[in-house]
Amino acid sequence: MIAIKLAFRNLLGAGLRTWLNVSVLSFAFVLIIFYNGMIDGWNRQARNDTRDWEIGQGQFWHPDYDRYDPYTIKESHSQLSDEINILIKENKLTPILITQATIYPQGRMQGIILKGIDPKQKILKLPSSYLENVQDEYSAIIGKRMAESTKLKVGDNVLVRWRDKNGTFDARDIKIAAIFNCDVPSVDNGQMYISLNVLQKMMNLENEATLLVAGKDYSGGKLENWEFKNQEFLLEDFNKLIQAKKAGGVIIQGLLLIIALLAIFDTQVLSIFRRQKEIGTYIALGMTRLQVVGIFTVEGGAHSILAALLGAAYGIPLFMYFNTVGISFGAPDMGLTIAKTIYPYYSIKLIITSIILVVLSATIVSYLPARKISKMNPTDALRGKLQ
Amino acid sequence: MEVIKINNLVKRFPMGKGYFTALNKINLSFEKGEFAGFVGPSGSGKTTLLNIIGSLDTPSDGSVIVMGKSVSDLTYKQSARLRNKHIGFIFQTYNLLPVYTVFENVEFSLLLQNISASERKKAVMEALEWLDIADKAKSKPNMLSGGECQRVAIARAMVKKPEIILADEPTANLDSENSHRILQTMKKLNEELKVSFLFATHDEKVMKYLDRIIALVDGRVASDEKNISKLEIKV
Ligand SMILES: Nc1ncnc2c1ncn2[C@@H]1O[C@H](COP(=O)(O)OP(=O)(O)OP(=O)(O)O)[C@@H](O)[C@H]1O
Ligand SMILES: [Mg+2]
Repeated sequence: MIAIKLAFRNLLGAGLRTWLNVSVLSFAFVLIIFYNGMIDGWNRQARNDTRDWEIGQGQFWHPDYDRYDPYTIKESHSQLSDEINILIKENKLTPILITQATIYPQGRMQGIILKGIDPKQKILKLPSSYLENVQDEYSAIIGKRMAESTKLKVGDNVLVRWRDKNGTFDARDIKIAAIFNCDVPSVDNGQMYISLNVLQKMMNLENEATLLVAGKDYSGGKLENWEFKNQEFLLEDFNKLIQAKKAGGVIIQGLLLIIALLAIFDTQVLSIFRRQKEIGTYIALGMTRLQVVGIFTVEGGAHSILAALLGAAYGIPLFMYFNTVGISFGAPDMGLTIAKTIYPYYSIKLIITSIILVVLSATIVSYLPARKISKMNPTDALRGKLQ
Repeated sequence: MEVIKINNLVKRFPMGKGYFTALNKINLSFEKGEFAGFVGPSGSGKTTLLNIIGSLDTPSDGSVIVMGKSVSDLTYKQSARLRNKHIGFIFQTYNLLPVYTVFENVEFSLLLQNISASERKKAVMEALEWLDIADKAKSKPNMLSGGECQRVAIARAMVKKPEIILADEPTANLDSENSHRILQTMKKLNEELKVSFLFATHDEKVMKYLDRIIALVDGRVASDEKNISKLEIKV
């Protein structure tokens, strides 16, 4: 108790120097929370978007399907059982049939992934209803990125060439019924969506699919001959990216923190040197040397408490501002799943870990020089005679 | 009753390859309620002797028994407790804690003793009134004059009602008016509360107040004269 009171008195009494240290430390504090809050916000939004647009509550894959190996696509499809068809009707699963195809927009040639989806599906945000009840049954939806790269507009026709299950080539014009806007590049880049029934007919694969996307209402039970892939598996790449971004941030945050800690360390060394007489007086008044070490350690560590308060004073309004306005990235397409505007997310866990990190490290760097006091001779300290 | 008993005390400080003997075979004892002082030239060992009695330093040889306990046998905790409860220090440079108010400076030793807030307040105000500085209770040390600072230091030493107060050159930074004022207060404390005082001083003014003057020369007791003030009154 005395130590804490004394610590704050001494700190505030030291004036400018304290505030300099506290400012740098508070800046480290705010940066750590802000940066990680931004990454967490991005992460959350991206996970939500990926879930809503692509992976649902997980997917059942045909056992041969490998998303990284296009050569597996040709053989990875199988019949939907009656049980599955009931689940599809109940909106608990939605099937997707996948094949490779080639399109010829404006005379150029481009390989794409052609996906057949159920126009009635409600599980993914893909605007599949555009594929429903269209007079001309050969119509497709594509994403904005795909539309930009192929220069296709709504109403355009594009020649699509594909192979059916026997390997026979076929081709025809498909009309772009709608262009959707989605933050998940893998849903968009090089992808074209047509009605599942149409694709099944084109491929001669009646009632077959490559994978099944589970919706919120899906019970979670297993399906025979299909392999369940959970969200974590499907988000593996993205999770790695987030980890990498966080690790990248650690360097700059660490540097700032180290600068702040060095300043505290320096202040501590100086203050212990300058205040020998005071140290001797504490001992003369009946403190043990360890108690005095405690006072100086708490005093240095208390920088972090002040830094937290100062950081909160300008950080909270700042965080709240960005939380309502968001941080705009002006939509440069980085091939990452990233929303145009990120809303940082500050979790209690993030705030508490940052506080613990900063308080602990400030206390440790304060303890190191304070330890010297325990080796001091009180009479030398009283005379201020130490080198 | 003896409060301090010093037997064959030797204090050596390492110096170069050998030792420097600051105190050499000191034998002294002090009764409760003495008002005594060490005098002698600079470097004669006065401060060193006070520090050992106050258990801030340890003997190289011989023994110093303070209130029945040998200071060389005390653990850090025990010696801290001895200083906290039974020994008051007064320094030439006052050594007040700069960030604390006068009240809090005086309160400090009591805080270490787990005394309740109301009792602390009562004791502190009593001490401040005793020294006639109660009106400065809320001031910080840097707002006080030297004489006031030393009075706060005395209040800090007496607030815990110690058996012994060790005062190292308490008047060296004070003018003669303030010196007399302080000495009178200390004498009064000594007479009314039976606190034993041990001074280290060069100051003639201090010597006039002392009942016993021990002259140190080169770390040895050169003379030890008692009842001086009474002698003086007779003269
Ligand atoms: N820690 C120490 N290391 C080495 N020598 C010391 C130490 N402390 C004191 N001395 C020496 O011991 C001798 C006595 O010192 P002390 O401070 O007790 O003298 P003093 O009588 O109080 O002098 P003054 O009147 O100047 O205060 C001096 O020669 C001093 O240099
Ligand atoms: Mg001295």
